[in-house]
Amino acid sequence: MADVSHSGHTSHIANPNIGSLGVDSRKLGVWAFIGSETLFFASLITTYLVLAPVNAARADFQDPKQFLDIELTTLLAAILLASSLTMVLALAAVRRGDMRLFRVWLMSTIGLGFCFLGGQVYEFQHLYHEGVTLSSSLFGTTFFVLTGFHGTHVLIGAIWLLAVFLKVRKYPDSPENVLDVELGGLYWHFVDLVWVAIFTLIYLI
Amino acid sequence: MSAEAHTAEHHEGTRFYWVIGAVLAVVTILEVAITFAPWPHWIIVAILLILSFMKGAAVVMYYMHLKGDFRVLQLVFIVPMLLATVMLLMFLLLFSTHVGIAG
Repeated sequence: MADVSHSGHTSHIANPNIGSLGVDSRKLGVWAFIGSETLFFASLITTYLVLAPVNAARADFQDPKQFLDIELTTLLAAILLASSLTMVLALAAVRRGDMRLFRVWLMSTIGLGFCFLGGQVYEFQHLYHEGVTLSSSLFGTTFFVLTGFHGTHVLIGAIWLLAVFLKVRKYPDSPENVLDVELGGLYWHFVDLVWVAIFTLIYLI
Repeated sequence: MSAEAHTAEHHEGTRFYWVIGAVLAVVTILEVAITFAPWPHWIIVAILLILSFMKGAAVVMYYMHLKGDFRVLQLVFIVPMLLATVMLLMFLLLFSTHVGIAG
């Protein structure tokens, strides 16, 4: 069985998942996945920013400043940042074996994730009623593709964490629990990180 | 390690996460406030980019624990991040005077 230390590093001798680099292959895989996701979201953000002046020059121009609601998205940013805090607290709790606090913090993270999604659905609905759709303008297309993909990632993250929660509840003594929570948490923090970039580059600037 | 020492270490650790959370919240409020400042646009953009970078770095280093983790994990994340940044800047530079693309 894997011997997971306080820092989350796994013992080389006991764990067959440790590769020649001395790192748990599952953790390396998640970080590599996050690296590829970084490029994926960078390409979507680049597309939005490159096409912004093109949008302004077209006959079907829709001004983002006229439609985007800073108050709502600030609230959404706060929700995701708070969920990152609860996620890291859940990891700290499972590392020290405090399963009651672990459940509280992980369920808080999942709940905050769904609050974020609710806010995003409200924003999309509001924009739709204002006439901004996927095909109404270049702004509509690039904005919905970017934020829609991010929302989908939040949904996948929430489902991932829910699966981890159920697995830990069913097998509370499994030595893999800490790593399972850590890997789900890495993905969750990444979707928060993407929102930090989207919030600044798309909504504030 | 004694039980008392372990508990003290735990409280120290979680307190640090709360402090980081508070800093992130303050920076976010600061970001929004700056957009209303009567300063030149480029100054606002520069400050927003710096603050946003600080927020991102805090999340990666302290919440994702990349600071002090294996070098290969740092490499696997930082290299695509640098590539992404260079790609973004190069495309913006390429198309900064070319409104006609796809238009």
